[in-house]
Amino acid sequence: MTITAETGPDTRAAAPLGRLLAAEVRWVFRRPRTLVTLGLFALIPVLIAIGVVVADRDGGGGLIGAVAGNGLVLPIAALTVALALLLPLAVAMAAADAIAGEAANGTLRGLLLAPVSRLRLVGVKAFGVLVVAAAAALAIAVVGVLAGMIVVGSADGGMVTLSGTTLGLGAGLARVALVTVWVVGQLAAVGAVALAVSSLTEHPLVVLASVLGGLIAFGVLSAIPALDWLQRWLLTSGWSAGADALRYPITLDAMGSSTLRALCYTAIGIGFTLWRMQRRDA
Amino acid sequence: MTAAPAARAAGLRKVYGRTVAVAGLDLEVPTGAVLGMLGPNGSGKTTLIRMLLGLTRPTAGTAELLGRPLSHVAAALPHVGALVEGPGFHPFLSGRENLRRMAAAEPLLDAAAIPRAVGDALERVGLTHAADRRFRGYSLGMKQRLGLAGALLVPRRLVVLDEPTNGLDPAGTRDVRAIIADLHAAGSTVIVSSHLLAEVEATCTHVAVLQSGSLVAAGELRGLLDSRTGGLVIVTPDVEPALRLLAEAGAVATRDTGGEPGVVVTDGPEPPEIVALLVRAGVAVHEARRRRPRLEELFAQLTEGS
Repeated sequence: MTITAETGPDTRAAAPLGRLLAAEVRWVFRRPRTLVTLGLFALIPVLIAIGVVVADRDGGGGLIGAVAGNGLVLPIAALTVALALLLPLAVAMAAADAIAGEAANGTLRGLLLAPVSRLRLVGVKAFGVLVVAAAAALAIAVVGVLAGMIVVGSADGGMVTLSGTTLGLGAGLARVALVTVWVVGQLAAVGAVALAVSSLTEHPLVVLASVLGGLIAFGVLSAIPALDWLQRWLLTSGWSAGADALRYPITLDAMGSSTLRALCYTAIGIGFTLWRMQRRDA
Repeated sequence: MTAAPAARAAGLRKVYGRTVAVAGLDLEVPTGAVLGMLGPNGSGKTTLIRMLLGLTRPTAGTAELLGRPLSHVAAALPHVGALVEGPGFHPFLSGRENLRRMAAAEPLLDAAAIPRAVGDALERVGLTHAADRRFRGYSLGMKQRLGLAGALLVPRRLVVLDEPTNGLDPAGTRDVRAIIADLHAAGSTVIVSSHLLAEVEATCTHVAVLQSGSLVAAGELRGLLDSRTGGLVIVTPDVEPALRLLAEAGAVATRDTGGEPGVVVTDGPEPPEIVALLVRAGVAVHEARRRRPRLEELFAQLTEGS
């Protein structure tokens, strides 16, 4: 009596993918820590902007120094600063919640029993982590552009490149967008590796610790001159490439090679996650 | 619907390291049955359930769920509702939001039908009043009810409930019993593991008793209880003469300590002979009945013997 018809949802073996993705995104953004994290990321460019304006001394070195009087550099500087540690941590947190956290809650079991196939589950979870990465990068970029225009102000409403030329507003924004996309790509790599760790444990903290430990280890390895040959394999070694977007003409070599590296990390991370989730007890 | 059993295990075995959780077990759960799975803590009930549902890979053996082998268990799962190892929900979501998230993954639910299915399930477990409170603030019993609601989101052919009455008050326990009875009446098969023997005796048609990963008894509850005689109860005011006569006839009889005056014969001649003997000797026999053991006694016999 419970089987009413041979057509329609009664014979469906899986819920529509779009519905699963929407439910995942809703879950991600209903999580208070996601919202708090995004709020804090939005603060980063504001703090840098205030710092630059208050200090207001010419000749401040580096990327941050270049922000002075040049507002459109602010989002790129903020993204570069956050990429070093904060953005990867936020992505690791999302990945930790995605599998390890669900397992700890006992909700992973519920999803597998619905059933959501294990292949699909990895897809849905990876999508959720990517959405967090994109939202975090976007929060910095958008607030960065606004704070840059309003608090710092800009030369002729455009962007002064590190090479000394001036770009119009449109071209400046396009470069901000390019760096944002590149940052999301790097974060996807971090997220994929974090998901792989997440698929191995039911303790979300293990995922955070692994990513943090990995970042520090990469930092140490890249500081050892004898290990120069290792540089090209380290994900973090290309993370200063965002500043290249501020040159005229733009140089894409570093961003391109780091994106390739990120793709490799992503493929390995997702591949391992898939392999592991096929075997995982829930 | 096919005549195949709702669930079947053949030589199912699970070993964790050096611990044998389930030791090569054969079990059939007939379609439409309410199977009570009994056993002391650590006897393998949950591991068996997890293997049947495809959550854990068996070390050896095969299993079928609604006629599908474990390798294709996904095809059966939309028709299976389960509450395994306690309710798992997100603390920061309300009960209703938690169920909506579960419902979004249910293949048999249309998107438009989700709010209604969630509302109905909440109503069914008596949680409507707390539906919009965060799961974090739920009492143990409310959490358990929400878990039950999750298993009932869709009309199911098979419902698997692992310790559903954990943490429930007497009213909650009654509700669970009523829900199981409803499912049974609607033709669903129910597998319920419990350590509350009175619950199982009240709601189940079949039992499976596990002990150290092995099945020590399985079958229809009535048949199992009938197979173990609890003795012959004879209600009579003439207790002393009856005891003397029975002792002379070689029967083992004692005074019935519970209820009406009478004697209990636990061994000796067959019941017709005993009754005839007493009546011929002038003992007033008001009633003679076979006493069936309670499930509790049967369970104790089965699990404490080894």
